[in-house]
Amino acid sequence: MNEIEEKSFYQAMGRYRGILGWLISTDHKKIGIMYLGALLCFFSVGVTLGILIRLSLIAPGMFLSAQHYNQLFTVHGIVMIFLFIIPGIPVAFGNFLLPLMIGAKDVAFPRLNRFTWWLYLAGAFIVLLALATGGGPPDTGWTFYAPYSIESKTNVSLAVFGVFVLGFSSIFTGLNFVTTIHRMRAPGMEWFRMPLFVWTLYATGWVQILATPVLAITLLFIVLGRFIGIGFFDPTRGGDPILYEHLFWIYSHPAVYIMVLPAMGIISEIVPVFARKRIFGYHAIALSALAIASVGYLVWGHHMFTSGMSDTARVIFSFITFLVAVPSGVKIFNWVSTLYKGSIEVAAPLLFALSFIFLFSIGGLTGLIIGSLAPSLHLHGTYFIVAHFHYVMFGGAGFSFFAGLHYWFPKMFGKMYSEKWAKRGWFFLFVGFNVLYFSMFILGYEGMPRRYFEPPPQYHGWSVISTIGSWLLATGILIILSNLVRALFKGEKASANPWGGRTLEWTVSSPPPRENFIHGPVIATDPYGFEGKK
Amino acid sequence: MIEPLQAKGESGIDYTGKKIGMWIFLFTELLFFGGMFLLYSIFRAQYPSEFHISAREENLVLGTINTFALLTSSLFIALSIAAIRRGNKKQSLWLQGLTILCGIIFLVIKYFEWSEKIAKGIYPDSPVLLGMGSGETLFFGLYYMMTGIHGLHVLIGILVIAVMLHFTRQDTITSQNYVKLENTGLYWHFVDIVWIYLFPLFYLIT
Amino acid sequence: MPTMLLGPANTSGRVDETFIYIVGISAVLLLLVTGCMIYFVVRYSRKRHPQAEEVKESVWLEVFWTVVPTLLALSMFYFGWVNFKYIRTPVKDAISVNVVASKWAWLFIYENGKRSDVLRVPVNKPVRLVLTSADVIHSLYIPAFRIKEDCVPGIKTYLGFNANETGTYDIFCTEYCGVGHSQMLSKVIVISGEEFAKWYETTEASGAAKKGQLLLQDKGCLGCHSIDGSKKAGPSFKGLYRARETVITNGAERTVIVDDAYIKDYVRHPNIDIVKGYQPIMPVIPVTDAELALLVEYIKTLK
Ligand code: HEA
Ligand code: HEA
Ligand code: HEC
Ligand code: CUA
Ligand SMILES: [Cu+2]
Repeated sequence: MNEIEEKSFYQAMGRYRGILGWLISTDHKKIGIMYLGALLCFFSVGVTLGILIRLSLIAPGMFLSAQHYNQLFTVHGIVMIFLFIIPGIPVAFGNFLLPLMIGAKDVAFPRLNRFTWWLYLAGAFIVLLALATGGGPPDTGWTFYAPYSIESKTNVSLAVFGVFVLGFSSIFTGLNFVTTIHRMRAPGMEWFRMPLFVWTLYATGWVQILATPVLAITLLFIVLGRFIGIGFFDPTRGGDPILYEHLFWIYSHPAVYIMVLPAMGIISEIVPVFARKRIFGYHAIALSALAIASVGYLVWGHHMFTSGMSDTARVIFSFITFLVAVPSGVKIFNWVSTLYKGSIEVAAPLLFALSFIFLFSIGGLTGLIIGSLAPSLHLHGTYFIVAHFHYVMFGGAGFSFFAGLHYWFPKMFGKMYSEKWAKRGWFFLFVGFNVLYFSMFILGYEGMPRRYFEPPPQYHGWSVISTIGSWLLATGILIILSNLVRALFKGEKASANPWGGRTLEWTVSSPPPRENFIHGPVIATDPYGFEGKK
Repeated sequence: MIEPLQAKGESGIDYTGKKIGMWIFLFTELLFFGGMFLLYSIFRAQYPSEFHISAREENLVLGTINTFALLTSSLFIALSIAAIRRGNKKQSLWLQGLTILCGIIFLVIKYFEWSEKIAKGIYPDSPVLLGMGSGETLFFGLYYMMTGIHGLHVLIGILVIAVMLHFTRQDTITSQNYVKLENTGLYWHFVDIVWIYLFPLFYLIT
Repeated sequence: MPTMLLGPANTSGRVDETFIYIVGISAVLLLLVTGCMIYFVVRYSRKRHPQAEEVKESVWLEVFWTVVPTLLALSMFYFGWVNFKYIRTPVKDAISVNVVASKWAWLFIYENGKRSDVLRVPVNKPVRLVLTSADVIHSLYIPAFRIKEDCVPGIKTYLGFNANETGTYDIFCTEYCGVGHSQMLSKVIVISGEEFAKWYETTEASGAAKKGQLLLQDKGCLGCHSIDGSKKAGPSFKGLYRARETVITNGAERTVIVDDAYIKDYVRHPNIDIVKGYQPIMPVIPVTDAELALLVEYIKTLK
């Protein structure tokens, strides 16, 4: 398509050069790349903390005290959730690709977009500052349950404030994307001609808009509870700690769909491309994203099945929890059907995508077990939960992140990585992942509580196996990241469309030019027409 | 249904797009305050009589004046938008100035209301308040929180209108391109509406 | 609907039954999804199948795999609900025990005022626990019985079970409550009815020693300190008095000999000196001077 070599956006000059030129750029592609870099840094931090948690668990007290352990898993949770996986896919891939995929020059509010990036940096900085100042890193768990979080002597206030700022970054990103999708589509791109990744960004945008403000206000009350004794969640002042749990999960349950919806979008892009076949059930996949986003609001109570909430409420929340699982299943079935009679090439991105389907199914299906009332009495607060959420978050959203990274890497950087090493990295990641987290299902069923610095001795055996898994996993991540870093400097030049994708981002050169499209594209077909293509 | 990129107005500004963005933003603000209204209703249900008694502490006269101040300011900003659309820059500037003035009056009165209470020893975590009991602690906690955060919004609104005033003077906002001012107006109306809800909750339902 | 599965309590089988039902269906679904996926990837690989064929969309298929999982999911919900209802429905004539959780100890208070830091219950008799907390949220979890419920300050929650077998089972705290969370352990001891009656009826002999022990129990000290020399989160009180100890003060080690003043200071300011080999988790527990004197006298007697 692109016979003439254009200047890529990397070479495009603004008013300033160097770092400043990046930081003040409103180009959605530059912002996306910067986000990606920051995310990978925070991911590395979180992941290192995860390794330390596992080390401490097989030898409690050897090199970490109980207090340090508690701060460790709290910071691990905060970094992974608020700095990595919630912003994750939308800010990095969404920013870079959304305008390209809908044939637009940029997002609807480019300057707001840059502002979200600054807010993100500011929020991250505040969170990191909280680690070094005041009473040290927070020790409350990432859920900040009151009244513990109000009493804790550690620097909870600053950390919570950082999360508050990150929340606003997230709200504005959602707002920007929703408006972009409404207003900026190229002529002819009807709603049902949008790529599915765009659909999921749309659904995610709404969840961000609707859920995050509640978190913001709730966290504000925690800070004020600590500073000026507003006792809304403090029983000694007439407040109600269970109310805090409600308000927290009203946000944080929808937040898990902020993590996983765009991940599902990436899978919906990758599977058809590598099967050379139109995606099966386009409408069903698009609509199920909206279904998940909307029903997902009503199930927050399933985190509180043993909190002392009324039994009637528990029954209702459990019922809706089971309904929200159905649209996820619809997606899984459609992806698998897309493979049927395709012409499948198992390249690295597809390998990650297929692993997603497998791991997310395990995570999701175990979600059904803990969403059911009787088993949740046993499993709440145990390692079963820890296993569930690592399967959906890391096995789901995380693997999808890696899938997307390998899929769009040539587009973003114009370089090709080594396929062989990508697959080797995948192998360690996949095996290590299952050793690490499947052991936790067993530990959890046997009753090992989570957030335990020193688990009772009967759980030692599986803990050791799990820790060994974490080393395999670490090897995998190191291989993957070094392979990509190597490709940045030494990789072969990538063509405009190395995978044979049919969505719009593949019609521009790699990396794309500053203005994205020289002539505004006009769309006449759906994004997955592979007929006659090899 | 919604016209794509190419269908922008001549000025190159996507008017509808900007409006959509603003409405969504106001929606998030609504949810933000919604969290507080939710708490209010839950605690009110738990401590009906304490809330009843505490509300008598409020100064109804000052509250009423403030309600008028905000309502009038809403009118002024609406008129200033109408003025700029007609191309009457001078009138619009005046009206924006008056809006800011009303906002300031509101804040000053709020300041006196708060100081009056603080002088009586009623403020979060004060010994007087803790001595009164849980219901009262929660009522005044909510009072300070909600009027405080609302006041913060008024303050932000004033600052934004001041910026708009500057833009209007510099002809960044014109009769062709007034969407910034219009969005500011929306924001200001929103702040006004929140007060319309706060007023009965804290002053009228005694 | 009675359950086939048994366990140490009437609740265990109920939970396991639902668990196995859902795991069973899930395993089948997972095998189906993964099996098809792997089969397709192999069968339709680019080598074997160089040209993809278009497959027509099918509304019926979409409806099928929406409706069937919905029905399966509803059956899972139903099973969970029925067993949940069974577990949660209060039984008449249950023995009621009040549970007060605090950082980081359990206190069980029986109807006749008897107090204990372990939960003693008779076999084959329904028990109803009424839970609350003195500070932050805790959660009482008995893995063998498959049940738990949070202890929330300011409100009462409840939990019921009926033990089938005598024996001793773990109690864990499963709601994060601070630095001693993983040390907040106790036991359920299920004993025969006669044994229980005997234990229940014996009123503690009065006298300074018993008073001291009760006080330790009430204040939650026994959650972390034993009086028989066994190891818990904190050093045992047995043989503590007059012992020579290494403590760490502001990072520097020093040796002390435990006396009255030392113990009193310690209880008032537990985190100034840290006993070597322990975590600095001891909370400041409010005690009056008189109580403190009593405690010291009691600790002296534990040789
Ligand atoms: C990416 C994040 C993510 C996602 C997508 C999910 C998805 C789901 N989660 Fe999970 N969850 C978390 C992240 C996530 N969760 C986290 C972080 C926590 C713990 C927080 C904390 O306490 O720290 C948690 C905790 C958690 C709990 C509370 C546990 C407790 O503390 O007691 C529950 C209970 O119901 C639950 C249920 C579910 C369900 C039913 C789904 C469903 O959406 C899953 C749907 C998917 C499938 C079902 C699989 C695919 C479907 C098929 C193969 C078809 C067949 C399907 C049927 C028969 C219906 N989750
Ligand atoms: C996206 C989310 C995410 C991810 C990816 C992870 C990743 C990991 N987590 Fe995470 N975890 C959470 C989210 C996540 N976690 C949350 C939300 C909690 C709850 C916290 C709470 O209770 O409040 C939690 C809690 C939690 C616990 C429970 C703690 C407890 O309850 O006591 C454990 C225990 O094993 C654990 C382990 C791990 C491990 C071993 C990894 C592994 O994936 C880590 C793998 C490590 C590597 C792969 C290291 C390789 C890399 C390097 C060594 C550096 C590389 C350097 C460069 C690239 C420069 N996590
Ligand atoms: C949460 C657990 C916990 C509770 C409850 C607790 N302690 Fe301790 N205690 C410890 C730990 C751990 C240490 C040793 C480490 C330290 O210095 O904090 C300790 C140390 C002590 C010591 C010093 C022992 C020595 O060897 O020098 C005394 C005396 C003591 N505790 C008395 C009490 C009394 C009396 C109470 C109840 C009023 C009590 N403790 C409650 C955990 C606890
Ligand atoms: Cu008590 Cu955890
Ligand atoms: Cu949830």
